[in-house]
Amino acid sequence: MALFEINDLSVQFDTNDGTVSAVNGVSFDVNEGDTLAIVGESGSGKSQTAFATIGLLARNGHSTGSVKWDGKEILNLPEGQLNKIRSSEIAMIFQDPMTSLNPYLKVSAQMEEVLTLHRGMSRREARAECVRMLDAVRIPDAAARITMYPHEFSGGMRQRIMIAMSLLCRPRLIIADEPTTALDVTVQAQIMDLLRDIRYEFNTAMILITHDLGIVAGSCERTMVMYGGRIMERGTTAEIFAAPTHPYTLGLLDAVPRLDRREDVLPTIPGEPPDMLRAVTGCPFEPRCPLAFERCISVVPPLERLGETRVRACHRNPEEVVR
Amino acid sequence: MLTFIIKRLAVAIPTLLILVIFSYLIMYAAPGGPFDSERQLPPQVMANLMAKYGLDQPLIVQIARYVWNVVVHFDFGPSFIYKDQTVNDIIRQGFPVTLTYGFWSFVVATSVGMSLGILAAIYHNSWLDYLAVGISVGAQVLPNFVMAPILVLTFTLWLGWLPGGGWQGGQWQYVIMPVIALSTSFMASISRLTRSSMLEVLNANYIRTARAKGLPMRRVIFRHALKPALLPVISYLGPAFVGMITGSVVIDIYFSTGGIGIFFVNSAINRDYSVIMGITILTGALTVLFNLVVDILYAWIDPKIRY
Repeated sequence: MALFEINDLSVQFDTNDGTVSAVNGVSFDVNEGDTLAIVGESGSGKSQTAFATIGLLARNGHSTGSVKWDGKEILNLPEGQLNKIRSSEIAMIFQDPMTSLNPYLKVSAQMEEVLTLHRGMSRREARAECVRMLDAVRIPDAAARITMYPHEFSGGMRQRIMIAMSLLCRPRLIIADEPTTALDVTVQAQIMDLLRDIRYEFNTAMILITHDLGIVAGSCERTMVMYGGRIMERGTTAEIFAAPTHPYTLGLLDAVPRLDRREDVLPTIPGEPPDMLRAVTGCPFEPRCPLAFERCISVVPPLERLGETRVRACHRNPEEVVR
Repeated sequence: MLTFIIKRLAVAIPTLLILVIFSYLIMYAAPGGPFDSERQLPPQVMANLMAKYGLDQPLIVQIARYVWNVVVHFDFGPSFIYKDQTVNDIIRQGFPVTLTYGFWSFVVATSVGMSLGILAAIYHNSWLDYLAVGISVGAQVLPNFVMAPILVLTFTLWLGWLPGGGWQGGQWQYVIMPVIALSTSFMASISRLTRSSMLEVLNANYIRTARAKGLPMRRVIFRHALKPALLPVISYLGPAFVGMITGSVVIDIYFSTGGIGIFFVNSAINRDYSVIMGITILTGALTVLFNLVVDILYAWIDPKIRY
């Protein structure tokens, strides 16, 4: 039994322009200590997939399917029961550390409440533990700086605080939603190193949501590529990088700048991400796919197994998918 | 912080001085005067009157003398119309009245308005939201000159619970209806402001973080969302408080409360120069003061603001 099992998860949003299907029948699982990257461009539904699993969708969103945590169904549980799991077992790290920490509360107040709430600690015990955790994420002079406000820290430091906060209860799974997107490149590397170190230290499973294939390679064992709210391809990161079997994955990999190629114009995937208001009858990637043919317009490609570890959703045969 | 307060109070002095000069000029420019009446006074009488109140002096001398009296003697001069009363008397009698019903109006408007706004935002798009929005729109479109007679009809004529007017030193029976009539429209504005700002804050990333931490909704609202949601409300509350404690002409007429609200209008109609000036300065000084209070509250709530 997997630690975290998602089956046929779909997410819809009611908007003034109609119902938007952000996620369509996504399934995956994460085992104890596992690392999974969910990759895709903006609007691929990767973040909403993660939010839906622990009930953090915006108010106009609702989800169907099944999410099992430790064998127990948790999708659409009442808020009170989800709150027992949130942060104490599944913790989240968000994209923008500038806005994801409350600017009106001291760091100490925001961190301590996690422990006083979930672990029943006194304020004093909680403070000591929070300082220890800030030390662990290498915030210098943590004991003094913990009483400062978020705006008194740099972006990278804030993300460290965010990570420290997510680790306080020693969760078994961390969901990191684009943890480095808002940071500059050198800080990105530091944060990814830090995430890797603490994962080893605390043996935490991780779901890393990102559009940056560059940080996936070094940090996740498995990768799931999403587009238009559907899984395009899933497998070990090594397989996906070495031999992509989906035209979208191929396009994403080609768009990563490389030092060993001289290019004046970086390759891109032509076209724009899909308009989620339009119901798609076929493959969501079809309008932008260089290999599309008639069947792609009318029939959604089913998710097919390919070997031990791999699934893909494409009407083309794997060997046809080449540059 | 202390230097900021002192600095702001120092800036208040030229601000009020400019207010005095402008009001005086506008008043002076308006046609007519306090002693104009249906029957023309003999020129000699008129000249004597003008001389007695110093109105025969050049404008600059009048203003200087007025400011001197206000600043040095704290004397706002005699009323030009109520012959046996000084402006100080009028404010001393009227202001406690408006301060009383204005203060309670503020308490009612803020507590009810904020509660309605917060509830509406939490239960966004539910019947509770629609009810709260309905109440505040209703309260907004019902002007106090309609509200006041409805209250008198209901509570005095039909139910006979409350006296229809008077003040009696501010006994509670006499205060209730003025408070309701004055507070409704303020309550409506506060409720709408609170609702929209709370809705915006509830969509903020840090609220999602708070929820992801497994905090109960009550804690998310009161500990994480309330402070930022109240910021725009507070900047409205400063001027609104001044508006309420300086009273309302409608309230003073309908309920014969004897507040300064009525003098504001009457003095302007009668060209009662000294009363106009006195009440203008009072309102101006209070506005400056409560804008300062708003700024101090802002600094207290938002750690990014440091003076």
